[in-house]
Amino acid sequence: MQSTEFMIPTSVSEALDNISREDAIFLGGGTSTALLYKTRMIEPSRVVWLGKVSELKGISTSATTVRIGSTTTMAEIAANREIARLFPGVSAAAGVIGNARVRAMATMGGALAHADPRQDLPPALIAVGATVSVNSSSGSREIPLKEFYEGFLETVLSPDELVTEVSIPIRSNQRSSYLRYTPTSEGDYPTVGSGTSLIFGPDGKTIEAATAVLCGVGTVPILADEAARILIGSSGDDTTLQRAAEAVRNAVDPQDDERGTADYKREMASVFTYRSLKSCLNS
Amino acid sequence: MKINFSLNGKETELDVDPMAVALDVVRGLSLTGTKEGCGVGVCGACTIMVNGSPVSSCICLVGTLADKDVWTIEGIAEKMPELIDSFVEEEGMQCGICTPGQIVAAAAIESVGASNAEEIKKYMAGNLCRCTGYQTILSAVEDHLAVN
Repeated sequence: MQSTEFMIPTSVSEALDNISREDAIFLGGGTSTALLYKTRMIEPSRVVWLGKVSELKGISTSATTVRIGSTTTMAEIAANREIARLFPGVSAAAGVIGNARVRAMATMGGALAHADPRQDLPPALIAVGATVSVNSSSGSREIPLKEFYEGFLETVLSPDELVTEVSIPIRSNQRSSYLRYTPTSEGDYPTVGSGTSLIFGPDGKTIEAATAVLCGVGTVPILADEAARILIGSSGDDTTLQRAAEAVRNAVDPQDDERGTADYKREMASVFTYRSLKSCLNS
Repeated sequence: MKINFSLNGKETELDVDPMAVALDVVRGLSLTGTKEGCGVGVCGACTIMVNGSPVSSCICLVGTLADKDVWTIEGIAEKMPELIDSFVEEEGMQCGICTPGQIVAAAAIESVGASNAEEIKKYMAGNLCRCTGYQTILSAVEDHLAVN
């Protein structure tokens, strides 16, 4: 096997210059890349490590937006107080991924680009309307995270595009939550995870906008649009929450595997969406 | 490729394949206290400490250690003998294969600020012990944090 060239750029523009080779890949923390490389599922001739690109790291908050740089780790997201206050679902998701070692290494941008549909973070981010910023040598673009995924380990990114940050709009009267369920060990991928968000109207009681997003039950994170429609206009009373959770069964598309049968996952998707919505209301 | 980092408190320069995993690299330096368990980042047997945080050396590409502060069980044992004492006194081991990883994870617990029993349990949950002697391991970590 030919050896892999390991590049250590210190700026985004240098990183974009480095990626110009066909089979080059960007490297964040390396938790997923190391596994794929060890098993020879990928054999890049060049790896562009982003660990020294300081402009990609960190979390900033303005009056309207929270921005998370792409090389920010899961541990850093989970420990951030502003994110915990504004987006408890995002904070919870970042804090349950894998184990403390994975959270210390794994970066947000790496996780999003890896696009494993069982990941905890995407449903939590999609629920609160996150947008991905992407740069390449030919320009930049913004992609709503809900439109980012195309299939199992597939995104809309082209090989030369770099995820630079995720931005989340701060909305008044928004409550959000993320809950996961796994019957195996705590560090495993979930059977199902449910990220939900409710935005209340000026009266503080009527739901004006709702989002429910599921991981683990399809080849991409799944938006339960019908559940959202049922919630809008209601006060989040228990009967409505149950109807919304019921509607999740038809939105998901799970497969049988060691984390449960398709029927079981459908049931758990419904149960955990109900609990996630309850958690929004109680937050 | 030449990689520079601090290893157990000593500035180190290695000429290595940056895509090798840290586990193989440190063991190749005769630091064989770090054990391979699952090889996929799940079990914690191969835990090393990088910039104060616990890291699975089996899925850590050594190129990403450039300029970082890296500690293995050998360095931790020398630097924190009282932590080893806590594991001995509380009998926080049985067969021993997970023990280096458990001790390095405990050494890095400050990275997450875990202090009470529940937080310690949540943090240490990522380090598996197939002898299932978890209570004595948790006691050792609690004892260490109480003393220090």
